[in-house]
Amino acid sequence: MKPLVKDALIAKLTTLADDEVILAHRNSEWVGHGPILEEDIALANITQDELGHAILWYGLRKELDGSDPDRLAFFRDAYEYRCCELVELPKGDWAFTMLRQYLFDLYESLWLEAAQQSTYPPLAGAAQKIIREERFHLQHTRAWVERLGLGTEESNRRLQQALDFQWGYAQQLFVPIPGEELLVAEGIVPDLVPLKARWLEQASRHLQNAGLKLPINPGYQPTSREQHTEHLWSLLAEMQSTARWDPEAKVW
Amino acid sequence: MPGRYGVPTDPDYQERLAEFEARIRRGEKIEPGDWMPEEYRRQLIRMISQHAHSEVVGMLPEGAWITRAPSLKRKLILIAKVQDEAGHGQYLYHAAETLGVRREEMLEALLSGRAKYSSIFNYPTLTWADIGTIGWLVDGAAIKNQTMLAQCSYGPYSRAMVRICAEETFHHKQGKEMVLLYAHGTPKQRAMAQDAINRWWWPALMMLGPHDKDSPNTEVLVRWGIKTKTNDQVRQEFINEHAPEILAAGLSIPDPELRYDEKSGNWLHGPINWEEFWQVVGGNGPMNKERLEARRRAHAEGAWVREALQAYAARQQRAVAV
Amino acid sequence: MDTQWPRWEVFKQDAPGKPHQAVGSVHAADPEHALLTARNVFARRPQAVSLWVVRAEEVFSWTKEEIAQDPALQGGATPARGLRPTSYLVFRKTSHKRSMTFVDHVGEVQACSPQEALREALARFRDAEGLAWWVVAAEKVHRSDPSQETVESWFAPAKEKTYKQQQYYTTVSASRPKRRGEDEAFGEGCAHC
Ligand SMILES: [Fe+2]
Ligand SMILES: [Fe+2]
Ligand SMILES: [Fe+2]
Repeated sequence: MKPLVKDALIAKLTTLADDEVILAHRNSEWVGHGPILEEDIALANITQDELGHAILWYGLRKELDGSDPDRLAFFRDAYEYRCCELVELPKGDWAFTMLRQYLFDLYESLWLEAAQQSTYPPLAGAAQKIIREERFHLQHTRAWVERLGLGTEESNRRLQQALDFQWGYAQQLFVPIPGEELLVAEGIVPDLVPLKARWLEQASRHLQNAGLKLPINPGYQPTSREQHTEHLWSLLAEMQSTARWDPEAKVW
Repeated sequence: MPGRYGVPTDPDYQERLAEFEARIRRGEKIEPGDWMPEEYRRQLIRMISQHAHSEVVGMLPEGAWITRAPSLKRKLILIAKVQDEAGHGQYLYHAAETLGVRREEMLEALLSGRAKYSSIFNYPTLTWADIGTIGWLVDGAAIKNQTMLAQCSYGPYSRAMVRICAEETFHHKQGKEMVLLYAHGTPKQRAMAQDAINRWWWPALMMLGPHDKDSPNTEVLVRWGIKTKTNDQVRQEFINEHAPEILAAGLSIPDPELRYDEKSGNWLHGPINWEEFWQVVGGNGPMNKERLEARRRAHAEGAWVREALQAYAARQQRAVAV
Repeated sequence: MDTQWPRWEVFKQDAPGKPHQAVGSVHAADPEHALLTARNVFARRPQAVSLWVVRAEEVFSWTKEEIAQDPALQGGATPARGLRPTSYLVFRKTSHKRSMTFVDHVGEVQACSPQEALREALARFRDAEGLAWWVVAAEKVHRSDPSQETVESWFAPAKEKTYKQQQYYTTVSASRPKRRGEDEAFGEGCAHC
C-alpha cells in the first residue's frame, strides 16, 4: 500500500471507530434507566454491538500502524478525536436517542453494504461481519421511529423536535475526510456521494411515513472532524477518568 | 389458569396439602395451574418479586461505572453484565406473573417503597475496583443462593434460576479475574482492590440474610422446597469458597476473627453487625433514597414512551378491524 | 393508563430440527415489537435460529393434575358439529428435571376449540407422559422471518460475543478443580446445578 493511501486509511478507520465509541458511550448512559426493562436490554445490545464495531475498526488500524486500541480510546483528547458531532450530542430523551440511532444505523448499513466490496480484504471482511448486526439495528430503530412518529401527539412532537435538531448534524456522516478520495479511487472505501443519495431517499421516505416533516432549513451542518461540540471535552473527561487515574497501570 | 390456591378453611385442605407435600418430596415440580396452598403462593410472590426488584435496582450501582470503564473490553463486559441484571429482573417478574400477579403491581410496590430488595445495593460504588469486587463477592454470594433456588419446587422460579445461574457465572468470573489482576497490578490498583474488598466483604455476608434463628420464614420455605438450605448454610459455603481465594491473592479480609477450623473444615467468621443490616433494610442505608429515586425517575420519564407504543398498537388494531 | 404493555409468551428454537421451547415472556406493544423484543431478551447468547411469540391470553394450559380432575378432558376428541376445525399448536412438558425451558412444541392438531385440541393432543402424543400441556391457535402465533439473511442478522452474531460467556474467563479458576463438562454446560444449564 502506498504511504499516502495507508495514512488516509488509518485516518478513515479512526473516524469509523471514534463514531462508534462515542455513540456507544452516549447510549450506554441509558443502561439502567430505560423506559421499560425490555428496552433497557435492547439498547444495551445495540450499544455492545457498536462498541464491538469500534474495537474491530481500531483493530484494523492496529494492523496498519501497531497502535493500541485502548490507548487511542482513553488517551486521546478532544483535539485528537475524529468523531462526528452527531454522536457527541447528549442523549436527550428516548425519541432523541432512537432517532439518532436510526439515522446512524441507516448510514452505517448502507456504508457497510458497499464496503463489503472493498479491495482491502480486512475491511471487506469486517464489513461482512458487522452488517449482520446493523441489519437488526436498523429493523429495531426503524420500528421505533415508526411507532413514536405514529404514537401519541407527544411522541410525535418529541420525535419531530429531535429530527429538527439532528438533521443538519447527520449530514456530516457524508462529508469525506481529507485524503478519502485516494481510498475511493483505490476501491478501498465506498464513495459517499451515491450513499448519501440513497440515505436521503430512504430516511426521507421512512420519516415521512412516520408522520414527520423534514426540516426545510437543516440548520448547522458540521464539515470538519477536527472540530467538535462543546460536549466532547467533558464526555472524554468522564470516559477516560479511570484509565488516566493510574498512569503506571499497563492493564485494566 | 390460576386460582387453585388452597386455604386451611377448605374442607379438603389437609388432604390436598398432604398430596402437595408428597409431590414435593418426590421431586416433582409444581406448575402454574396445579393446586398449591395460598401460603405457598404468597411466599413465592414475596420472594420472587423481591428478587426481581433486587436485580433491577442492582443495575444502578454498577451501571454508574459504565461510562468510566478503563478499557474497551471492560466497558463491553460491564454493559453485558448490567444488561444481564435487567434480564434477570425480567425473567423473575415473569416467574411471579405465573402466580397471577401483574408486573405493574410489583413495580408499583417497588416504586412506592413498600417492597424490599437486597440490602447490598444500598451501598455506593466509590471506585472502579468496586465493579470487580461486586462481581466476585456480591455475584458470588448471589450464585450460592441462586444455585440453591434452581432446585426450587416451583417450576417457573426454578427455570428462571437455572437460566440466571448460567449467566451469573460469567459475572462472578469476570469480577474475580479483574480483582486478581489488580491484586497483582500497580500499587494504586492493588490499594484500590483492597479498599473495595474492605467495604464489600461484610455487606456480602449480610446479603445472604439473617441468622437462621432470626429468619422466621425459613422453616416453611424449606418444607415446601422453595429453599433447600438455610441462610447460615449458604453463607458458610460462600465464605469457604471466597475467603481462601482472597487471601491467596495477597489481599486481606476485614475480619480479625476469621479463621480456618480444621475440625469442621469451615472458615469461621466474627460477629456480623446486624444493626447495620437492619438499618439498611429499613431504608437508612447510604444509597436507599438515591436508588429508589433513580428507578422512579426512569419510570416516570418512560411513561410517554410506553403510552406511545400502546397508542400505535391500538391504531394498528383498528386498521386491521376495519 | 400507564401499563407495562401486554405480555407475550416466547418460544425459541435452538437449531434446525429441534422443537420450539417456551423460554419465558416479554412485555411488548404489538407483534413485530414483541418479536424484536424476544430476540433482544432471549437471544443475547447463542443458540437460536427462530422465535415465535404469542399473546399470553391466547395460550391455553393444563397440568397433568388439572387434566386428571376434569373428566371432560379425557377420552378422544369428539368434533363439535357445525364448526370448521382450525390448526392448533401443541406444546408439552415431559420431565421434572431442572431445565431452562418449559413446554416443547410437539406438533399440530386440527380442532374446533382449545379443549378439543387438548383432547386430540392427549390421544395423539402418547410417546411420553405429559406433565403440562399448552395449546395455541396457529393463527395467533407470530414467527420470526426464516430467511437466511434474517437468521444471520438476528442470531449468528451472538456466537461471537464470547466476552459474555464464562469460558472466556478460564484463567481465573484458582482453587476449585473443574468438574468434567462444567464449562461446556453454558447455555445448556446452570454450571453449578
Ligand atoms: Fe456499528
Ligand atoms: Fe448500529
Ligand atoms: Fe443477576
